[in-house]
Amino acid sequence: MKYTLLIFFCLLILQSCKSTQVKEYEKQHINDREMKLSAKTAERHETNFQVYREGASGANGGKTGGGCGCN
Amino acid sequence: MYTIRKIIFVFLLSISGFAQENDSTEVVYKRRVLEASEIEFISSYYKQDGNHSAVSGGIGTEKLTDVASNIVLTIPLNADDILTIDAGFSAYTSASSSNINPFFTDGSYVDNGNNTGASRGYAKSTKDLNRDSDDDDYGTTQPLPYGSPWIESTGASRKDVLTTLSANYSHSSDDRNLIWNANLSVSREYDYQSFGFGGGIAKLFNEKNSEISIKASAYLDKWKAIYPTELHEYAKYGFNFQNNSYFENVTVYDQYGLESSNYLPFYFSEFDNEKRNSYSLSLGFSQVLTKELQVSIFMDVLYQEGLLSTPYHRVYFADKANYYIGQKRYIPLYDTPQNKGVYRLADDVERLPDNRFKLPLGARLNYYINDLMVLRTYYRFYSDDWGLVSHTASIELPIKISNSFTAYPMYRFYTQKALDYFAPFEQHYSSEKYYTSDYDLSSFDSHQYGAGFSYSAVFSPFKIFKFGLKNIDFRYNHYSRSDQLEADIFTIAIKFVNQ
Repeated sequence: MKYTLLIFFCLLILQSCKSTQVKEYEKQHINDREMKLSAKTAERHETNFQVYREGASGANGGKTGGGCGCN
Repeated sequence: MYTIRKIIFVFLLSISGFAQENDSTEVVYKRRVLEASEIEFISSYYKQDGNHSAVSGGIGTEKLTDVASNIVLTIPLNADDILTIDAGFSAYTSASSSNINPFFTDGSYVDNGNNTGASRGYAKSTKDLNRDSDDDDYGTTQPLPYGSPWIESTGASRKDVLTTLSANYSHSSDDRNLIWNANLSVSREYDYQSFGFGGGIAKLFNEKNSEISIKASAYLDKWKAIYPTELHEYAKYGFNFQNNSYFENVTVYDQYGLESSNYLPFYFSEFDNEKRNSYSLSLGFSQVLTKELQVSIFMDVLYQEGLLSTPYHRVYFADKANYYIGQKRYIPLYDTPQNKGVYRLADDVERLPDNRFKLPLGARLNYYINDLMVLRTYYRFYSDDWGLVSHTASIELPIKISNSFTAYPMYRFYTQKALDYFAPFEQHYSSEKYYTSDYDLSSFDSHQYGAGFSYSAVFSPFKIFKFGLKNIDFRYNHYSRSDQLEADIFTIAIKFVNQ
């Protein structure tokens, strides 16, 4: 069920974006520093400790392996 | 597995249709991808405490402090290519590491928190010293091996430094719609080293409103396995280990405080394979939905093989007799913080399967509310074939105080269902194939909340050599886990640009 919902969500976005045409000159808000679709560089050490203290990792734009994370 | 293949297939099929569309973006002029070299310093201070140490089998202090720092140098090699060098270190002191050998042997431990005991060395005779059960044992000048899961030992293994170095090279096409990159990384600490490499490609289309990316990477790691002292000695000397080396003439007590020579951790054997390899494939798709709204979805497919257990995490079996070193009067208090002087000898170390398949799926959605506020959100679903399932959600609300200053409160919620192989202290049975008492892999919820403050310089107010200040980010977060682990982290990041 979760995977079906995810697939549906992906397809919905993909369909909706077909008609999306925001011009470059209309992107002053999209290009705002706070609008970046990635974790901030200042978050990287937080992400490291979260990987150490939690069982899950990945899908956060950071490293996907390497290191023992054992302390 | 079929479901995962189905997701990847649908994902690739869907985005391939878009990628094949003609991109109407015309190259008017070729702007440099990065105008000038940048250098960024990222430093953090982290501290935590808890009472479920994996090294002591699921009980005991989890005190840890860490100071980490990275220097990231980004250099434009020409109009299209960028080289990024990232060097860093992470220096920590950890109760977990220190209690690999929890035994104070120089007799200098006093119950005031200022311990100066050594966690390495040879114990002398303790039979006479342990005849009584009063406080006379404290403060003695004679060597005495005793410890406690609730006390951080102060031996050499309590601290270490992780050093990292990575390089990333990226190239953008003339129309800036295709970017590929390759990277190398190495890291090293006393008992672990890692070598990684990878590469990826990103394609922008739909007038740069859409982007797909794919990235592959591999990490080839190697342990230098360190085992809990008692198990290490057993592996080295065999059945006669209590008459050799560290344990020579050391008194071992049973559950009733009686001297015993029956402790034999015969379930323990050293790991044959000390390699750990990790492979990942990352897929991403991002889309500008409106002038104020954009979203990205991404997934990693991760596979690990090799030594996935941590060799110094102790496990105590419920169906095995208990044996101790130290002051027998603390045996009844063993699993309470009142235990200041006895340590239980391990039955084995954690045993986990030698491969693991992980599937995290994530999404970000950012919304430009108005000129004052932006909404940043993140969600991740994670599952793996060890039975761990988790959800992560976070929200951040940057508030623009002025053109240069932004304050941002943030909150993150995380919940996970335990690994199939997890059980608390002394609840595993020796008949099990896999077992761990590491509470990082238990069921828990966590809340992380804090705030950040950033300054972006329009005109650099000061310079260091030819580099002018570009921005400063400071953030603080408190992390609270439902198993009583509490942590705080402060981070500061300062970026300069060559002028």
